[in-house]
Amino acid sequence: MKPRTDSAQDRGAPAGTSIVLAGAGVTIDPADPAAAGPKTILRPLDLELSDRRIAVIGANGSGKSTLLRLLNGLVLPSTGSVQVNGLDTSRDGAAVRRTVGFVFTDPISQLVMPTPLEDVELSLRRLRLPKRERRRLAMELLESHGLAHLGSNSIYELSGGERQMVALATVLAVEPAILVLDEPSTLLDLRNTRMLRELLAGLPQQVILSTHDLDLAASCGRVLVVDDGGIAFDGPPAAAVDRYRALAG
Amino acid sequence: MRGHAHLVAGYIPGRSPLHRWPLWLKACLLLATAVLCLASPAVSVAAGAAITTAVLLFVVAGHALAGLPWARLGRAVKLMWIFLVLIGAYQWWQHGGLVAWQVVGAIVATVLAANILTATTPVDELLDGLAAVVRPLERVGADPERFSLTVALMLRSIPFVIGAFSDVREAARARGLERNLLARSLPVVIATVGYARATGEALSARGLGDPDLPGDPGFPEDPDFPGS
Repeated sequence: MKPRTDSAQDRGAPAGTSIVLAGAGVTIDPADPAAAGPKTILRPLDLELSDRRIAVIGANGSGKSTLLRLLNGLVLPSTGSVQVNGLDTSRDGAAVRRTVGFVFTDPISQLVMPTPLEDVELSLRRLRLPKRERRRLAMELLESHGLAHLGSNSIYELSGGERQMVALATVLAVEPAILVLDEPSTLLDLRNTRMLRELLAGLPQQVILSTHDLDLAASCGRVLVVDDGGIAFDGPPAAAVDRYRALAG
Repeated sequence: MRGHAHLVAGYIPGRSPLHRWPLWLKACLLLATAVLCLASPAVSVAAGAAITTAVLLFVVAGHALAGLPWARLGRAVKLMWIFLVLIGAYQWWQHGGLVAWQVVGAIVATVLAANILTATTPVDELLDGLAAVVRPLERVGADPERFSLTVALMLRSIPFVIGAFSDVREAARARGLERNLLARSLPVVIATVGYARATGEALSARGLGDPDLPGDPGFPEDPDFPGS
């Protein structure tokens, strides 16, 4: 998959994008009525995320996915607020989702249409372009990512790596300023992980991703270590990985 | 489980005349198929059976003209054969063989005609068509994009649920629970709810179905639906 180099990508370049979490925490009501009070998923966090490449690492169930879901309004904070370029995720959900693209761990959840071409076209529907123009743009986009040959295949016939690249293409189609990826390399083999890393490195967008791949985390300028619903470390990758290893015992 | 989802209701790319026909023409032919099959028995039982037979042959010819695989036609019938047998047996018992043939033939013809339409029309084109049909209702608060997306999701979900039934049946058989109704139905419900949640989350993350924001462009004219 080749990085895009057209002018459309330039338009998606972030101009000082910033996400601010002010005391943002997440709690859920327990299913068991006998439980004592709500369960804390994410403790109140104060963070400013403006670096171009940020990785979030931590154990399973530590709160990484919840933190990422806060960033595009998929999860709303129970306390505090999350602001994306000045937009509040609770109040301005639709505008936030246009600013922050989200890629799921399992791309099959994300692909709604039968074929990659139709799925990219679905993303482009919001632009309200005539049908032929939409199809031309979708084909162009798939070509620019080296996916044109898969355009008419069923999404169920694609490999895990191809699906992940298509899912990424459908999100990039609408040029979000910020890209959030939840464990994007979990289902990928080494070759596809390398391709994904190269692609992400070439994107103009601000990228925030969670991962168990410490090499991928190390390629980011800033790494957050999440542990037990809180931030255990926030800083450069080498020190973050050391901290994560220490936490894992 | 999701691997079954390509079995039915999907678009099959091609260059046949039916692939090139505009959606409105195919939709009108589908409507005509249903109306002829439903209304013809009002003339007489014999006329109903004769017209339904002719329509069914016409639809099968359309399937061939579209260059669609015969396996797809067989699959569409196979999926509803229990329903067809039950309804056919009841009609035979109540009204005789001719009526039973007319009723079963009408269902098969209409389903196959709908199958041809979805197989020769890209989903995106279907969405445009549905949105264009609903657009006049925008004045009374209808949201054409949301409506067409809902229908597309429904089309996508049907094969998933069929696949879920098939997989759960095999899993139950592997555990020797093929006669256990709970083991054959509860996992389907759980899988379907999980699928619906995942789809909803994915749509939400992509902002699909979100209301328009100030400054959003309007809908362009759809050449397939003049005046939309």
